[in-house]
Amino acid sequence: MFNNTRQAMAWVHTWFGLALGFVLMVCFFFGALSVFDREIDRWAIPETRFDPQPMPSYDQVLAPVFEKLRASPDDMAATAKRVEGELPHPDALKLDSLFAYTTHRDPVLRIGGEFGVPNKPINPKDDHQHVHGSATIDPRTGAFLADDKLKIGSDFFYPLHYSLHIHWKNLGYWIVGLAALIMLAALISGVVIHRKIFREFFTFRPNKNTQRSALDLHNMTGVVALPFHFFFAFTGLVIFAGIYFPVNQTFLKPLHDQGDQLEAARTGLPHKPAGIPASLASVDDMVTEAKKRWAKRDMPGDVGFLFIEHIGDQNSYVSLYRAGSDRVALVGQAIHFKASTGEVLLEEPAPTVVASINEFLTGLHLQHFRHWLLRWLYVIGGLLGCICIATGFIFYVEKRKHTHAKAGSQGARTVDALATATVTGMLLATAFMLIVNRLLPASLEGKGDWEEASFWALWLLTLLHAMWRNKPVNHARLSPAWREQCYGFALLAISAVLLNWVTTGDHLGKTAFTYWPVAGVDLSLLVSAGIAVLAARKLRQREREQERQANTIDCAESTNAHISTINTREPKHV
Amino acid sequence: MFDALVLGLAWLAAIIGMSWLALSMNNHHRQATGLPLPVKQAQTLRILGAAGLIASLGLCLAADHITMAILVWFMLLAASASSVAMTLTWRAPWLALMLGRHPASVPKLRGSVGR
Repeated sequence: MFNNTRQAMAWVHTWFGLALGFVLMVCFFFGALSVFDREIDRWAIPETRFDPQPMPSYDQVLAPVFEKLRASPDDMAATAKRVEGELPHPDALKLDSLFAYTTHRDPVLRIGGEFGVPNKPINPKDDHQHVHGSATIDPRTGAFLADDKLKIGSDFFYPLHYSLHIHWKNLGYWIVGLAALIMLAALISGVVIHRKIFREFFTFRPNKNTQRSALDLHNMTGVVALPFHFFFAFTGLVIFAGIYFPVNQTFLKPLHDQGDQLEAARTGLPHKPAGIPASLASVDDMVTEAKKRWAKRDMPGDVGFLFIEHIGDQNSYVSLYRAGSDRVALVGQAIHFKASTGEVLLEEPAPTVVASINEFLTGLHLQHFRHWLLRWLYVIGGLLGCICIATGFIFYVEKRKHTHAKAGSQGARTVDALATATVTGMLLATAFMLIVNRLLPASLEGKGDWEEASFWALWLLTLLHAMWRNKPVNHARLSPAWREQCYGFALLAISAVLLNWVTTGDHLGKTAFTYWPVAGVDLSLLVSAGIAVLAARKLRQREREQERQANTIDCAESTNAHISTINTREPKHV
Repeated sequence: MFDALVLGLAWLAAIIGMSWLALSMNNHHRQATGLPLPVKQAQTLRILGAAGLIASLGLCLAADHITMAILVWFMLLAASASSVAMTLTWRAPWLALMLGRHPASVPKLRGSVGR
């Protein structure tokens, strides 16, 4: 089928890249936005625009808050289908375990827990007898924040990056996983087919034809950030390995359960409740002890994650994890306390080599560290990935549009429309979502649902617009949809900044240097709008050049046709 | 503040290192200076470029824990390489500064060298 390895690799790179490049574009773009997900949350929920807070006192603030926490109605409905009889009222359900989680960028605190269910499961093998509940609170007062306010950054853009919001049978995770795998294959095949990887390392020639320019940029952005692209695709797969290889919940489940029990015996952390009621000692004292121990290990820090298991039981224990903001690895150095007495049950030793590598790889991707330069460098890496994928699409279209135009094929036109919607359309949908967030009243019930609907609706509209406007591709010319959507995005991005000012009073003059989360989002929108306008103007210039060339060719053809007509009419003189 | 300064220097070292590596290639050297590149100078520039990148790594290690420093360094390399590439595309004579020459002294080239 192929004459050599390079041809085979080129085939893999082109077709697999095209098929899953659209998914990868979503992963890279929303991954880049997720670097600042908490900051986007602040922009979208103005009442949370205050400084990041440390983990509040459990005894003073969190204990009364958890008494008010109730199981989620959605999870109650889902659990009701799995158990016999009617579930008790949420007020009657007892909290079995709880958690509180914060980072150095969170003004608000995420809390949650598992409520025990007394009903028997319909399936005897179903051992998940819990209903979950979660909430977001203001850690300064313990006040609950409204549930239907969508955290656009951390609850919409971030999950979109790894699940595409396709929840049916976790299909979104699988599609993204496949795309990540293809990304790895595309990177390796790309390196193999690149003829001059070092010679053209710094090469970008925008004055050449679009096909050559697009390939230059594709190669350059792919190669300069190759380690970033490789490690993010790879670590994305590592993070969700449990979903892709669910062996511990399928054919290795007995071994997994036995492992849990052995670990409980080894660590002294009880696997099951004793069934004997017991009270909870001061968690604040445990926090003080934990901080002392971390400081002794030359790792001073705050609590990032607090977890209490078997609440109200003699076997209950409190686990405190250090906020790992000075390390790449995720939260760690856990210290576990007996809940009823506050004595230390276990101070986790340094992780094994395998565990350290796993913590580093997941931490590298999930980036909970405090390092603003590295965060921005991640954004640059993500955007370089987007440019690489987008130029891949453009190269595909440019390479084939003349042949497809001659053959009357719709292939190049279809890919062009999909690429427009995936590149500029996605930007429009994102900016539009922010606009809808600012336009809808804060008190509107289901506001988050409207915001999500607006995002999907506008994205679909951009696809329809791209399909409607890209007829010129059939004549091997540039689609005006790219330019129009660039202008559209610029308009929406500027509107979002202005609406933020009008609806909250927070303009750049006020937020710059005083509240960077909001100023940063506003500035990024304005800079992106500027780049979009420049891109649109360049595109218009290219469209005009193509129109001029087409007119010249038309003129030449009609002149030739006219001359040949005259020649045929005029009698030839011998 | 000290860390920010050291990281700033690390970025600068990465940009200078990448610029020297780019200038050690004949096409890019001609783009930046309008002159062909002698073989000996190419070797020197390659060594200097590598030294710049290593210096950048050293500065990253001085500012952060090793795990973080390695990540920052790799990302600085990507950001610096792309900015050098873009400079070569739009303002190639600016890179002549890295050879101690003023950009205005670079003769304008006909055609597109290295293109």
